[in-house]
Amino acid sequence: MTQSLLHTVWLIPCYAIAGAIASALWSPAVIRRTGPRPAGYINLGMTLLAFVHSLAVFPMVWQHPAQHLSISWLQVAGLDLTLPLEISAVTVGASLVVTGLNLLAQVYAIGYMEMDWGWSRFFALLALFEAGMCGLVFCNSLFFSYIILEILTLGTYLMVGTWFNQSLVVSGARDAFLTKRVGDLFLLMGVLAIYPLAGTWDFNELAQWAETVTANPALRAAIAPGTTTLVGLALLAGPMGKCAQFPLHLWLDEAMEGPVPSTILRNSVVVATGAWVLIKLQPVLALSPVVLTAMITIGALTAVGGTLIAIAQIDIKRSLSYSVSAYMGLVFIAVGTGQTDAALLLILSHALAQGLLVMSTGSIVLNSITQDLTQLGGLWSRRPISALCCLGGVAGLIGLPPLGGFWALLKLADGLWSTHPWLVAVLLLVNGLTAFSMVREFGLIFAGSPRPMTERSPENFWLITLPMMVLLGVTLHLPLLLQSLSLLPSWAMLNKDMALLLVWSSLTGGGIGAVVYVGQSIPKPIQLPWKRLQTLFAYDLYTPQLYRSSIVFFVDWASRITDWFDRQVIDGAVNLVGFVSLFSGEALKYGNSGQGQFYILTITIGLAAIALSLGWSFVLH
Amino acid sequence: MLSTLIWFPVLGAIAIALLPPRHLKLAALIISGLVLLWTLWIANQFDFTNPLLQFREYLPWLEPLGLNYQLGVDGLSLPLLLLNSLLTWIVLYSSQEDIKRPRLFYSLILLVSGAVAGAFLAQNLLLFFLFYEVELVPFYLLISIWGGEKRNYAAIKFLLYTAVSGALILVAFLGVVWLQGANSFAYEALMGQSLPLWLQIVFLSLVLVGFGIKIPLVPLHTWLPDTYVAASAPVAILLGGVLAKLGAYGIFRFGLGLFPEAWATLAPGLATWATVSVLYGATIAIAQKDIKRMVAYSSIGHMGYILLGGAALTALSLVGAVAQMVAHGLILAILFHLVGVVETKVGTRDLDVLNGLMNPVRGLPLVSALLVLGGMASAGIPGLVGFVSEFLVFQGSYSVFPVQTLLCVVGTGLTAVYFVILLNRTCFGKLDNAIAYFPKVEWRERVPALILAITIVFLGIQPTWLVRWSESTTLSMVAAVPILAQPTIAQASEAPEASSNPVSQGVTTR
Repeated sequence: MTQSLLHTVWLIPCYAIAGAIASALWSPAVIRRTGPRPAGYINLGMTLLAFVHSLAVFPMVWQHPAQHLSISWLQVAGLDLTLPLEISAVTVGASLVVTGLNLLAQVYAIGYMEMDWGWSRFFALLALFEAGMCGLVFCNSLFFSYIILEILTLGTYLMVGTWFNQSLVVSGARDAFLTKRVGDLFLLMGVLAIYPLAGTWDFNELAQWAETVTANPALRAAIAPGTTTLVGLALLAGPMGKCAQFPLHLWLDEAMEGPVPSTILRNSVVVATGAWVLIKLQPVLALSPVVLTAMITIGALTAVGGTLIAIAQIDIKRSLSYSVSAYMGLVFIAVGTGQTDAALLLILSHALAQGLLVMSTGSIVLNSITQDLTQLGGLWSRRPISALCCLGGVAGLIGLPPLGGFWALLKLADGLWSTHPWLVAVLLLVNGLTAFSMVREFGLIFAGSPRPMTERSPENFWLITLPMMVLLGVTLHLPLLLQSLSLLPSWAMLNKDMALLLVWSSLTGGGIGAVVYVGQSIPKPIQLPWKRLQTLFAYDLYTPQLYRSSIVFFVDWASRITDWFDRQVIDGAVNLVGFVSLFSGEALKYGNSGQGQFYILTITIGLAAIALSLGWSFVLH
Repeated sequence: MLSTLIWFPVLGAIAIALLPPRHLKLAALIISGLVLLWTLWIANQFDFTNPLLQFREYLPWLEPLGLNYQLGVDGLSLPLLLLNSLLTWIVLYSSQEDIKRPRLFYSLILLVSGAVAGAFLAQNLLLFFLFYEVELVPFYLLISIWGGEKRNYAAIKFLLYTAVSGALILVAFLGVVWLQGANSFAYEALMGQSLPLWLQIVFLSLVLVGFGIKIPLVPLHTWLPDTYVAASAPVAILLGGVLAKLGAYGIFRFGLGLFPEAWATLAPGLATWATVSVLYGATIAIAQKDIKRMVAYSSIGHMGYILLGGAALTALSLVGAVAQMVAHGLILAILFHLVGVVETKVGTRDLDVLNGLMNPVRGLPLVSALLVLGGMASAGIPGLVGFVSEFLVFQGSYSVFPVQTLLCVVGTGLTAVYFVILLNRTCFGKLDNAIAYFPKVEWRERVPALILAITIVFLGIQPTWLVRWSESTTLSMVAAVPILAQPTIAQASEAPEASSNPVSQGVTTR
């Protein structure tokens, strides 16, 4: 029984797929009698099944070596595309997180989407994401990872476009799809290019190949200089798009037009899909120092820039989304410096805390009608549960002992200290700024006196509140969980200076935030003395305008010019040929006069010309 | 056995012309359904480990002329035959019940189907040419009688272009046979021919331009947007789904097959040509305001991948190219069909007017959903058939022509751009309730799209069913080019971005 559970681990993504297919039955005009709700319940059941399955398998793989399965997909012309699965503690743990968060998000969605008619579509897409992410964690091949990431790109397009009759949603869906697609296509180029080099897409074999290349200078010399760098940069671009790193970060912000339940997943685990692939690819990327530097630089820029932008946002969801980019930037830094364990821990703690933040703020949005931070306030007394959950999320996200974020950031900082001290400074800065930004958001929502939009804002019903509280519990218990899995450093091993620095940065950031935004002595809205700087961050460093005036402008004009060229020049030339032949026919018809003499004259001249040309050589001799 | 595929529809066409008008559509459906079943049975009997021609038929006809009735099927033509039979049935099924002049319409469709099957099966150059020309006139009539506005202009343009194409091909065929002193037009006898290289290149160029018009390749394409747009949806499906494949098939069979040496010499140029086609088609599609025209231009871009796969001449890329023919046929068919449905229901194809068709009550939700599927399949999203074939082409070509391949990958990105434009404007957005009184979508409009969608998804998830037919044939086609390996490797290593080592590694491992 237990072994069969282990070997049928590939069923975990299939449950969700089955749910997605089944919910198509409740799309409009198929099953009408029941309304669309059964689609949601079926998917919830399937997710529960997947969660239980993961949970049952986890003890079997904990502290056991990884097991490998393979499923044959396609063999053609010497190319063997077999899907390798890795069943290890990490992968099953990741699927546990994914299915668990999905379970909570789906319960939340049943409450949140109460009034919506598009249940079957929405839940099918949630299930698609669940299946994709579970598939991604188990699959151990770059090629199949690419496939899944690309399908999820389509999923994002449809998911963000759930409420497709609003124009912001439509443009948000478009931008999300295209930005992610750009990253995916670079990833595809990397996938294409690495196969002739390494001869495999299996992550383990790729790591081995990278190892032999590093160890063997002759092999290294055989690869043209620059190739590993270019391939590495292409492979980096895919995760950059998924993790919403500068300059491909725009989509996450616009994706906030989608419904909140999907945002829970997007902010917590969907963005982490890129980081997951990045971690798997780390040995290959490490072949080129340029790639590592690029990764660290992008990560650091996004981390700092993203947090600053987050502080300048007045939209609840958008402010959170930039923090997501920033934390994924930290993950980039971790992978770039080779600390994959710290990266995984950071992803885990971030996923839980961020999920909690989105759930709690979403529950505010739902019955306060607005998501504009400047119109909220004074909800502490009316929404104590949401407030506590929000606080829990903030505490779990930043480096505040004893919660998860603290241990992850500490582990990262500890590893950075000896090799890249300046990155520790970045880390502390980001942590402090995030603390400020989160406390700001908390203060703007909950502190102060009620505003017109928040006068009547009761706590939501249990379908929304319960999953939120469960997640709060999980977030708060994460350290205990980690302790029981002995993933936390012992007291003796602890880098106490670093821990202290981290706590100080959180307290400083959070403290300033509290003074400014929770305390009511400073009038709002707060204006920076440099107006331009504030708008710069508020408008996301003018990235949308930048895109519009560069790449969008270029493609638009290129297509118009080519279209003009096609209509006027190429088709024009064709029409000219036609016209000339018509015209010459028309002109020649005037030669048909009907007079015999004229015809005879023409024939005679013709014959003479032919005779002359034939006899020309004869005449010459 | 194979003759059935040709003559059954042709006889059926005659029979339909004589039938009373009551059950014409049913009769046509039965005939083409039987042909489809027969094709499936042949596919079932087909031995896909055998690279040679199978089920051959031979009847002496005009022996002094070298024109004999020779048929055969191999891995190159079988998938296309299946595509032809399937799409013919789909087209007949999706045609309107009250179409004007139904007898002529159904007869012509069946005639086209038979002639196209004949062209795919013919193993004699002249016989191929006859079939190739025979389908021309029915198509002309199909466009000019049942087409939309500007149908006469489009039909004439199509006719002239295709006539030129036929003339060039005939010149090439005659030249090959006469200059070689062969006494027959039999395909296999001509395969091992020994013309000097420059003559081969001349003939190959003629064949390329001739079939390039049919595919079409830039800049021989300007008949396509006009014709596809003017043709009614069923005819556009046949034009794009089947007839364009005839061009690609011709290039592989009579270009690569007859002049392998010249092909290898021209390969870098062909790859570049393919890339230009891909980028050109995709870029123009972005600027279109008419969804049918947009889909038509998308076709130009996608046919470029086929040429890229052929130019790279690795086992993988050729399999991918054949797969791409089928994939493109299916995807284009579903897109044209759905665009046709949108046009008949909403009454416009203008992107600036269309809006919010995903609306579940007043809109066309199923049509929109399938349109999303078709567009995404065309943009190469994995899990759908377009991805598999494009990926095989890319992976197979990358080691030989890295730069061109990567530019073609950019082409798929541009494809995503225009399909997102199309979907955003057509399916997403707010439906104007004042005008949204659309006629109901009928089953005859749903079923074809559903069948195509299921096929697209199935072949995307189980691509073995797509590629196994052609694998051994394409392998032997690559093997028939023994001197090929050197020039392409040299060519590739000269390219600056191509690191010489992975290239040679990649080629030697195959």
